[in-house]
Amino acid sequence: MSPTLIFDRTLIRRRLARAARHDPSLFLLDYVVEDLLERLTFIKRDFTTAADIGTPAPTLAHRLAAQKDHCPVVWMNPVMPRPRERKDERILEIVGDLERLPFGEACFDLVVSVLSLQYANDLPGALIQIRRSLRPDGLFLGCLAGGQTLQELRACLVAAETEISGGISPRVAPFADVRDMGGLLQRAGFALPVADSESLCVRYAHFFDLVADLRRMGAANSLTERSRKPASRRLFLRAAELYAERYSDPDGRIRATFDLIFIAGWVPHESQQKPLRPGSAQVSLTQVLPDKTANL
Amino acid sequence: MQTNDDKEPRQQPEAGSEPTRIDPRLLEILVCPLTKTTLEYDAARQELISRAARLAYPIRDGIPIMLPEEARPLEDEAIAR
Repeated sequence: MSPTLIFDRTLIRRRLARAARHDPSLFLLDYVVEDLLERLTFIKRDFTTAADIGTPAPTLAHRLAAQKDHCPVVWMNPVMPRPRERKDERILEIVGDLERLPFGEACFDLVVSVLSLQYANDLPGALIQIRRSLRPDGLFLGCLAGGQTLQELRACLVAAETEISGGISPRVAPFADVRDMGGLLQRAGFALPVADSESLCVRYAHFFDLVADLRRMGAANSLTERSRKPASRRLFLRAAELYAERYSDPDGRIRATFDLIFIAGWVPHESQQKPLRPGSAQVSLTQVLPDKTANL
Repeated sequence: MQTNDDKEPRQQPEAGSEPTRIDPRLLEILVCPLTKTTLEYDAARQELISRAARLAYPIRDGIPIMLPEEARPLEDEAIAR
């Protein structure tokens, strides 16, 4: 194991499991699932074997399985399933970690993943494993929280902690930038990589509603370098004050940004379009473009 | 029911009901997450055995738990068998 792990993945599993057992907050996940399914409708391809890797609720797997061509769908649950949960015959459920995928090579022709890759310590490694689990010409379509996610919360916690203790400890995770994702996909061996981002503003009545909602998403601080001292009530009260001062709307509600990065890539295949090799052109540009030098 | 929130719940098959079996389609695609080598299915113990990693991954209620932290380390004689 590398000594510089950013996320405590066992703790992330516990946080997600706790959220799933109580009253999970799924609005963000449901929003992304709808967006991702819509993106999938634009791809004119019949997928026969699909896998959902790490999405923290079965929503996406259920929806994919309901579309006839995707039957059955493997769902890799990031946490232990709850006992006596209703089983869907079309979903083949397993438990696994997206940094250590338990799939052989070329198993699927579609892999999806929603709101889980932002917790990867080794994102390029996870993408490489996903690519290897796909057949040639297979598609990976995913969404992860990116760059500007919770920027307001980060700023307020930093300001409050600096005021109170004269220093800061990591409280909001570092997120990948959309500008890096195309390169990462390419490095992982994907062809035709696409990455775009969508900023979603969510409004809450109060700072503590935002914090409670993050807990119900299983998204409380899981950084390896997090402070082991319990955060003081004073810190959160001050952060709440700063949040209300800086990021509230006229009606008193506060704004929180969720930056959603959608990524897509194909496993290379002969049938895909490719750029020509440099120097392979048969026609000179001077033959197709007018010769401007003649007028000089 | 859950006394400690931070513990991952272990699930037990309900008494009297037939334990759910693993879907055979899963056996074709699953490999050891550490070594990416093939697994042996032990139907009696409901385990997936990775000889390369010397681990037995449990299958609980038909759901394979492919986490090395949850796997049972194999003794030498079990591997030689």
